[in-house]
Amino acid sequence: MTAAEWQIAAFTVEMAVLSTALILPPGLALAWCLARFRWRGKTLVETFVAMPLVLPPVVTGLVLLKLFGRRGPLGHWLYSEFHFDVVFTWRAVTLALAVMSFPLLVWTARSAIEEVNPALERIARTLGAGEWRVFFTITLPLAKRGLLVGALLAFARALGEFGATILVAGNIPGVTTTLSTDIYQLIQLGEDSHAWTLAGISLSLAFAALWSSVWLMRRKKH
Amino acid sequence: MSLLLKNISLPLAPFTLEADVEIHRRVTAIFGPSGAGKTSLLELVAGLRRAKTAFIQLDGRVLTDVAQGVFVPVRQRGIGYVPQELALFPHLSVRQNLLYGRKSGGEPNRLFTFERIVEVLEIQPLIHRSVTELSGGEKQRVALARALLASPRLLLLDEPLASLDHKLKRRIIPYLASVREEFRIPMLYVTHDRFETLALADEMVVLVSGKIEQTGSVRVVFSRPANLAVAGLLAVETIQPGRVVKVTDELVTVAVGPTVLTAVAQNLPANMGEVHVCIRAEDVILLKGEGSQSSARNHLPAVVQSVASDGPLMRVELDCGFPLIALLTKQACEELALKPGDPVVALVKAPHIHLIPREAPRH
Repeated sequence: MTAAEWQIAAFTVEMAVLSTALILPPGLALAWCLARFRWRGKTLVETFVAMPLVLPPVVTGLVLLKLFGRRGPLGHWLYSEFHFDVVFTWRAVTLALAVMSFPLLVWTARSAIEEVNPALERIARTLGAGEWRVFFTITLPLAKRGLLVGALLAFARALGEFGATILVAGNIPGVTTTLSTDIYQLIQLGEDSHAWTLAGISLSLAFAALWSSVWLMRRKKH
Repeated sequence: MSLLLKNISLPLAPFTLEADVEIHRRVTAIFGPSGAGKTSLLELVAGLRRAKTAFIQLDGRVLTDVAQGVFVPVRQRGIGYVPQELALFPHLSVRQNLLYGRKSGGEPNRLFTFERIVEVLEIQPLIHRSVTELSGGEKQRVALARALLASPRLLLLDEPLASLDHKLKRRIIPYLASVREEFRIPMLYVTHDRFETLALADEMVVLVSGKIEQTGSVRVVFSRPANLAVAGLLAVETIQPGRVVKVTDELVTVAVGPTVLTAVAQNLPANMGEVHVCIRAEDVILLKGEGSQSSARNHLPAVVQSVASDGPLMRVELDCGFPLIALLTKQACEELALKPGDPVVALVKAPHIHLIPREAPRH
């Protein structure tokens, strides 16, 4: 493996870790709200969150491009307030990976939280615990395996993201190129042997992430 | 202790739970068949459920007042709750479970120390175990101790013994009794078991299909059920339709089929004609051979129909003109050598015959 290939692999992993870390807090909060409460507009929120699962990734990418471009509503605000660009930078890569893997995290985390017996949370309240304490001492520890599985699935999904990334972040060598966008480009250029090396790395990473989540899920049942 | 439940209305699936009751005694049993709304009533008191209308006050402190928009959150109510499923935290050790609700600071209540509770409930040998390794009876004690360690002002127990077998029940009841004596904590105790009620409660509230049918001391409710529903629920073994024949100063003569009984004329409505005659099996005494003199007012010649074991006792079915059930000890049964067909005399004291007004059958 060449230094450039290492750089791309490391960058991809770094972006996937970062995006997973970013979506964890809001993902858990949303999963908890979906699992434990009934509220107005819940169905609508559930549908929106799940959209990236079924939309063509390029459509998600296009929406993000329009929102975060310098002329888009969010992009314009970010540039004028904080003077930074999102589109075609590493931030766009994180953004695309985060949006694309968010539904997997929320869905898995939601069912993990739903599996925690609500009677335990109720008893904790009668023992004087407030909502934060109930969440961190009862709900979270009892759901932790399921939550970890959710995080691993989100990470695995982020590793392979292509459609949304290429639209919103492009394929700028050394800046936004990830394993999947580079593989695509190498095949276009006819450099199949290079492409195969990167494909091998992709395969090993995806295998490791999925294998651990499957292993965790099986442990959870015992 | 004073717990005031006023104007409670909570729509449940088959009926609306309604209650208006004041509870003062230390241990009060909420007694009723399953599905009567007993658990829902406890959950209202604990604040785990909200009613359509409710006013709940514990020792002068208003916990719920729907009309005024008052609702003290569960964690601030100071009410311990041991649900039927116990809900021990499976990821924590016995010790961590016990300490979960322990108050740090505040005025120390000397009776509620960790050491004392662990001692009374004999939890010391379990303390480092995982709760998933405990037996049913051990889980029960840990759940009870956990609730006590939060120093509640009122303890709610939901069918604490329902999931245990007969033998284990008898082992746990003394623990509950010692909690009652040692910690002097008021308890609301949901049960459908009359043995538990008699063993533990001072007062009882009888709940049937969401309505309170009777409230009073355990002794009074058991000996004087307010109506047929309560009598049936308390499993008064013999309930027979009868007719008042004669009322003298203190005694009532009642005919049940061909048999004539004497009862005490206490609180008897003046115009009572048709009645239900209730006799508890424990109150029936059997004599064999020539009847000697006895103070009991009712000497009923009877024939033994069947003899069967009923837990620690023997259940004897008699025919004395109407079916009558007697409960005897095994020993007594053996001494009398009772077998079906034997002639005996059944003795029932007049105060043990309880009369409930009955509407004349409509045509």
